[in-house]
Amino acid sequence: MTQACHRKCVPPHYKEAELSKGESVCLDRCVAKYLEVHERMGKKLTELSMQDEELLKRMQQGSGTA
Amino acid sequence: AVPALEVPGAAMAAAPPPGPPLQYSLLLQHLVGERRQPRAWDPGALGGIPSPPKSEEQKAVERAMESCAFKAALACVGGFVLGGAFGVFTAGIDTNVGFDPKDPYRTPTAKEVLKDMGQRGISYAKNFAIVGAMFSCTECMVESYRGKSDWKNSVISGCITGGAIGFRAGLKAGVIGCGGFAAFSAAIDYYLR
Repeated sequence: MTQACHRKCVPPHYKEAELSKGESVCLDRCVAKYLEVHERMGKKLTELSMQDEELLKRMQQGSGTA
Repeated sequence: AVPALEVPGAAMAAAPPPGPPLQYSLLLQHLVGERRQPRAWDPGALGGIPSPPKSEEQKAVERAMESCAFKAALACVGGFVLGGAFGVFTAGIDTNVGFDPKDPYRTPTAKEVLKDMGQRGISYAKNFAIVGAMFSCTECMVESYRGKSDWKNSVISGCITGGAIGFRAGLKAGVIGCGGFAAFSAAIDYYLR
């Protein structure tokens, strides 16, 4: 996350040591977007993996009884 | 973040081996789901220079000092002082007080001169303060909107400020004011960088 947002928001030519207002605003937005996407993808993948597990359990039960 | 996203990919690509149910779902929930533990982002751990964590008051003060309103107020006060000095100075150079048509060579009295200097100083100071505050405020807002800090911010805000000032005298004066002030602030920016 640090690398991605640094690449997007901080241009390589440094003019002063402090983060300027534009850069801090950009970093704020970048981090918020990254964390939100991370959370949503995590939830979606958890959902998909639970569906997978259910399918596998049903298959096992089906092959066990048959 | 990247290892956490690779694990669910591996779990989906290979069929999970038969074992206790919901094993991978538990893992995922601990990594990216609801049961994530909060982490302390220590700058020393992430490869930065270790520094003591900032207190809430320090963060609040820094946030206030970086805000647009504070910058505009600072520019306003600075403009007031600068305008006052400039006005007093030009009043000393460009005198037109105490002109008596009956006696054109009369030297103005000290009281008249001081009154003129005061008036001009105040008037210039107010103008400079307003212009400075407007420019600083617009520049800060443009920079916050764009999320970048380069030369275009001062040009755009110079155009807005000049246009707003000139617009009171008509549309053409507004356009000229926009162009002139934008060029002026671009020149100042170029000189300062």
